[in-house]
Amino acid sequence: MIEIRGLSKAYRGQDGSQVQALADVDLTVRDNEFLTVLGPSGCGKTTMLKMIAGLIPWDEGSIAIDGVEVDGPGPERAMVFQNFALLPWATVLDNVAFGLEMRGVGKAERHERARELVTTVGLAGFETKRPGELSGGMQQRVGLARALAVQPKVLLMDEPFGAVDEQTRRLLQEELLAIWEHNRVTVVFITHSMEEAVLLGDRVVLMSARPGQISEIVDVPLERPRSSDVGGLERSSEYSEITAHLWERLREMHAEHGRVGGIAS
Amino acid sequence: MSAALAPSPSLRTRVERLSGAQASALSLAIGAVLWEIVGRVAQVPFFPPLSEVLVRLGDMVVTGQIVGNLAESLGNLVIGFGVSLTIGLVLGTAMGRYRRVNAMFGIYVYALLTAPSLVFAPIFFSILGSGRGSIVGVVVMYSTFIMIITTASAVENVSPGLVEMGRSYGAGEWRLLTRVILPAAAPSIFTGIRLGVGRAVTGMINGEMFIAVVGLGRIVTQAGKRFDGAGVLAILLVIIVVAVAAVALTQLVDRRITSWVPQTSKDAA
Ligand SMILES: Nc1ncnc2c1ncn2[C@@H]1O[C@H](COP(=O)(O)OP(=O)(O)OP(=O)(O)O)[C@@H](O)[C@H]1O
Ligand SMILES: [Mg+2]
Repeated sequence: MIEIRGLSKAYRGQDGSQVQALADVDLTVRDNEFLTVLGPSGCGKTTMLKMIAGLIPWDEGSIAIDGVEVDGPGPERAMVFQNFALLPWATVLDNVAFGLEMRGVGKAERHERARELVTTVGLAGFETKRPGELSGGMQQRVGLARALAVQPKVLLMDEPFGAVDEQTRRLLQEELLAIWEHNRVTVVFITHSMEEAVLLGDRVVLMSARPGQISEIVDVPLERPRSSDVGGLERSSEYSEITAHLWERLREMHAEHGRVGGIAS
Repeated sequence: MSAALAPSPSLRTRVERLSGAQASALSLAIGAVLWEIVGRVAQVPFFPPLSEVLVRLGDMVVTGQIVGNLAESLGNLVIGFGVSLTIGLVLGTAMGRYRRVNAMFGIYVYALLTAPSLVFAPIFFSILGSGRGSIVGVVVMYSTFIMIITTASAVENVSPGLVEMGRSYGAGEWRLLTRVILPAAAPSIFTGIRLGVGRAVTGMINGEMFIAVVGLGRIVTQAGKRFDGAGVLAILLVIIVVAVAAVALTQLVDRRITSWVPQTSKDAA
């Protein structure tokens, strides 16, 4: 369980100005839950995720995982990055084994484990390729395998499929769901896409900007497993109701910010 | 249509078809021929034609002048460059990674980079005498600072996302440096190393001309004092070969270490 209490963070710009990235955020992520986070650009999604990852400090509040205060990165958490963040000089296998290597796992053992995960994400045969030789979708499979290799209890994903094309994204979503059905870890998944948030999540956390806050948490009571027929799911009325509701709320937020000179889109 | 009417490849397409090695060989051949012609036409004592210089070089090799001095110079170069490289990598990495170290050393490094390095020769000479230590000192002054600065900027410019990824997987500072930051910075670091090698050769010759009693720099000075134009150029040829070989060796190591950089981006550079 991830417990976030009264989390606040202000960034100080170089010109001395302050941006309140997060203001008094409370959130509980249940064990083995797939939580998606949705919100307009700049509402602090990445900031919150990186704090859970232990990568950046906060001003006030607390984050605890299974009752233990977060103080830096830890072995029970693993992150998947929007821009993949692969080592361009390392092979697929070494990239997947990276987290294990950092934990001091010996070469033979980590390669064996990495090989399994390369297969899990459908990249068998590409073990000796370098990231530069792979498509974006394949690169993110490597990123996912690297995270899964360390057997995390919490998987943190920051718009992991934001940088790949629509078709690849669909495939990746289905595969992620299949992997997750098989191995139900806690997932915090950030996205810009309402459809993606509803398709993947047990609950959707809707955030609003300036200051970054949680505006609503929406339950997604759609049946699982959802992996098999994404199209069928999208034709269901529940699915359309939830996405419509989310879009309504997002549009309100954008309209408000339009008035104060924020995001115009 | 008969074959005779087919346009023959233009000079441009012929040049484009040359491989890198062929292009270099062609350019060298042209240079050699020009040297020979200019040397013969000009008839000045300090620019004899290539053939005369090569004959003189042959003499010097046979009488053993080249080998002993070359070995001496290479010793100076290897030790001096080794010291420079070590300082360059260690201090450069520290400066690129830690703001405080950068604030402490940056000003000195930039000052010494722009200072004419030869002014340090008399200082080394007065402290260390005319032995190897002085020459090594001059080589270090010539080649260290450029490698410090390029290493520092290479390390500083490593993608923050990659560093963050490393941290998120629990990498400590040492692993972060050796597994993420330095490999990522390697291509840019090698650019600096190549510049450093060139400057180290210059430093070796200048230092030897100024200080030493042995070495290539020393015998080139002696040949100059004897008005032995062919001798000067003969030694210069040896020096050039040393410099080219040193740079080629660096490139060889560079290619092995940074083979992951796509070849196309190297061609474009
Ligand atoms: N390092 C930083 N320094 C200063 N301000 C920052 C920094 N990182 C983020 N911010 C600001 O904090 C706010 C929240 O940023 P964050 O990246 O968390 O938003 P986000 O919800 O992830 O946005 P997006 O959907 O565009 O990724 C933004 O206004 C951003 O400009
Ligand atoms: Mg973000």
